[in-house]
Amino acid sequence: MIRRRDFGRLAAGAGLALAMLPRRSGAAEFPSLKAGSGQPVYFRGWQYKTDIVQNNVSRYNSTQGGHVDYATVTGDYPAIMEQNLMSGGQLDMLYGNPSQATRYFDGGWILPVEELPNYEEIKAEFLPNLWDAWTYKGKLLGLSYFATTRGVIHVNLKAFQGAGLADKDFPKSWDELYDTVFALNGKGVATPFLPHWFGEWYGISWAFVFEVLNRGGKVADDETHKPTLTTDKTGPAYKTLAAWKKLWNAKLVPSEVLTYNEAAYIAAFGSGRYVFSPQQLYDLESFNQKGKSQIAGFDSLLPVQGQSWGLIDSALYMMTKRERPAPVTDDVKRFTSWYGFKDETGKLAVGERWMQESMLFSAYKSIMDSPTTEARIKQAVARPEDYKAVLDVYKATPYPSGIWKVVWSEEYNSWLKDTLANFLLQDSDIVATITASNDKIKELNEKYGI
Amino acid sequence: MASDQALPKAAARPALPVRTRRELTDTQFALAIGMPVFLFLVLVVAYPLGYAIWMSVHKIIFFGGYRTSFVGLANFARVLADANFWWSTWVTLRLTVEAVILTMLLGLGLALMLNRPIVAGGLVRTLVFLPWCVSLYGAGLMFAYLARGQTGLGTSIAYAFGSSLSVDLMTRDMVIEVLAVGAAWTMAPLVAFFLLANLKTIPRRLYDLAALDRLSRFETFWNVTLPPLRYTLFVFTSIITVLSMKLFDFIFVMTGGGPGTSSATLTYQVYKVSFKNLDLGYGAAMSFYLLLLILASTFVLYLVWGRREARY
Repeated sequence: MIRRRDFGRLAAGAGLALAMLPRRSGAAEFPSLKAGSGQPVYFRGWQYKTDIVQNNVSRYNSTQGGHVDYATVTGDYPAIMEQNLMSGGQLDMLYGNPSQATRYFDGGWILPVEELPNYEEIKAEFLPNLWDAWTYKGKLLGLSYFATTRGVIHVNLKAFQGAGLADKDFPKSWDELYDTVFALNGKGVATPFLPHWFGEWYGISWAFVFEVLNRGGKVADDETHKPTLTTDKTGPAYKTLAAWKKLWNAKLVPSEVLTYNEAAYIAAFGSGRYVFSPQQLYDLESFNQKGKSQIAGFDSLLPVQGQSWGLIDSALYMMTKRERPAPVTDDVKRFTSWYGFKDETGKLAVGERWMQESMLFSAYKSIMDSPTTEARIKQAVARPEDYKAVLDVYKATPYPSGIWKVVWSEEYNSWLKDTLANFLLQDSDIVATITASNDKIKELNEKYGI
Repeated sequence: MASDQALPKAAARPALPVRTRRELTDTQFALAIGMPVFLFLVLVVAYPLGYAIWMSVHKIIFFGGYRTSFVGLANFARVLADANFWWSTWVTLRLTVEAVILTMLLGLGLALMLNRPIVAGGLVRTLVFLPWCVSLYGAGLMFAYLARGQTGLGTSIAYAFGSSLSVDLMTRDMVIEVLAVGAAWTMAPLVAFFLLANLKTIPRRLYDLAALDRLSRFETFWNVTLPPLRYTLFVFTSIITVLSMKLFDFIFVMTGGGPGTSSATLTYQVYKVSFKNLDLGYGAAMSFYLLLLILASTFVLYLVWGRREARY
């Protein structure tokens, strides 16, 4: 028989033990997504369809009693956000590319997703390739904003067919693509190709990275982050730069592309002047829309025929780790989960909306496998057969872990952007440029003790 | 008398300290009125400057735990061995010379135009002053559109004349000149208004005398108009020199330092080193070279021009 005093001791001990258990093991999901602190939660992002974002935020605020303060950031987004995070400024949830997330995580400025009570449910929803891309040091760094292929080769069918070519002539690799470009030029097409050389931080530098990846190479090793580019003439880096040099010296590319922002780059291809251009996969939708481009109904893409195209371009919603009262941190987690995963009805509402409105792919299986997504993609492409091409390209897209899952990623990218533009402008030596890239990676590894 | 009776009582009280109104010395007075300004300067100038000096002699690391280590003058030596620094110094000097010349000529031209009787003078003056009110960010966006081949003014003009030529001014060879024109567009109105104020002080009778002497328009300008403007011109040449060397947001928005590094001025280089690479010590050291360049340029201006003007 248990005496009253012993029962009291046991109960107290059990209570203490329960209180000391990690929170995550206590609950499989949020008891409620309703905001509780009454304090603002600061959400910042870059400028993309801000009306949709504002509308989503307003819905959260009205249905969940939130006080989410949403604003956009103009200018050099990665650098500005980094200063904000470093200074512990008013920032609770933000957009970021995985390479930025890696740096922010190493700076100790963001919370991993495992801090959310519904972590296991989120994990079960994730597509494996994106789980791998967004996981660093064993931690998932954020929830899904979008995932897409940047650098998929869009084809202006009107110009392509106008030059007497058909689908059977679609290039299967980068080498074949350049051959076709010069052949088209020989047939009198003045501007057959608009390369991904624009002046944004994800312009010319990413163009080099995805071409090297597509050709079967890597800029740095995925695990050790040591440089892996070779200077032999048959190597992917050499072949890439040699093709660029030939294209530039033949004056097939307007030099102004180096100073385009992304809007100008998209507008240039949408003008119908070019035949091929590496663009975002989701821009098939806007290029094929009347009123938004001159090639509406004629924008197709090169299918995968042995070689991949582009790289995975994706973005996450991240939670910051700044000092704030615990109830506010709880609100940040609730809002992030609501916005980046499931809302109060259990729907992946924001992700589904992005798919329907802008054809932004998601990291969640339910969205990508849904019949409405299939219908949406079919609605955006120029021809029925392009639906399969879209899925094949997306499935085959590589991710540059060696240079994006490392703390120096942004620094290397900034250096690469300038170096590659100067390579063209100054007609620099190919071997010297590849060697400089390897040296830069070595220098960065030394700087961070990698 | 009541007062006589009251006196001994008052005398019996313990002696109170006598209050005297002592006059402040000149030094004390100067300190009293100067101290708030001094404290303000300490806060907004000396502290950041001191912190920048501290950073320039340290290596600062944010990743893997914030830590700093003293490196002495190593950052300063690294800057001198950096080819990007020397390139940016050249770009800065080229941009500054072009922007200053264009700004001063445009400002002088506008001032002379506004000094003449014109219809709707108030409205014209307001319109002329507007570019100074436009943010450099906005001006950068606008000039990027104007200079780019795809959307630019040159292409539009060519198109109007029936040509399909795309006129791109954002090239490696031209981008500095385009930046200088943009910078002059934003800064010239300020120069113009100060020169205009100066022009208004020139007595009318001097022009009457010049007419009597049958001076040509150029001789009148050279001998009557220009001499009273010379000091103002010197002052604004110095100011525009400093502003051009410090120019950042306009370049950031319009060219992003490109194409390549064609328009990467020292301010842009400092930004990249400090905020992209997060190498704050090195960036701080580089910023002191920029400060040195600004001081040296204005000092040279003073030696060759300002000292002579100050005598008159």
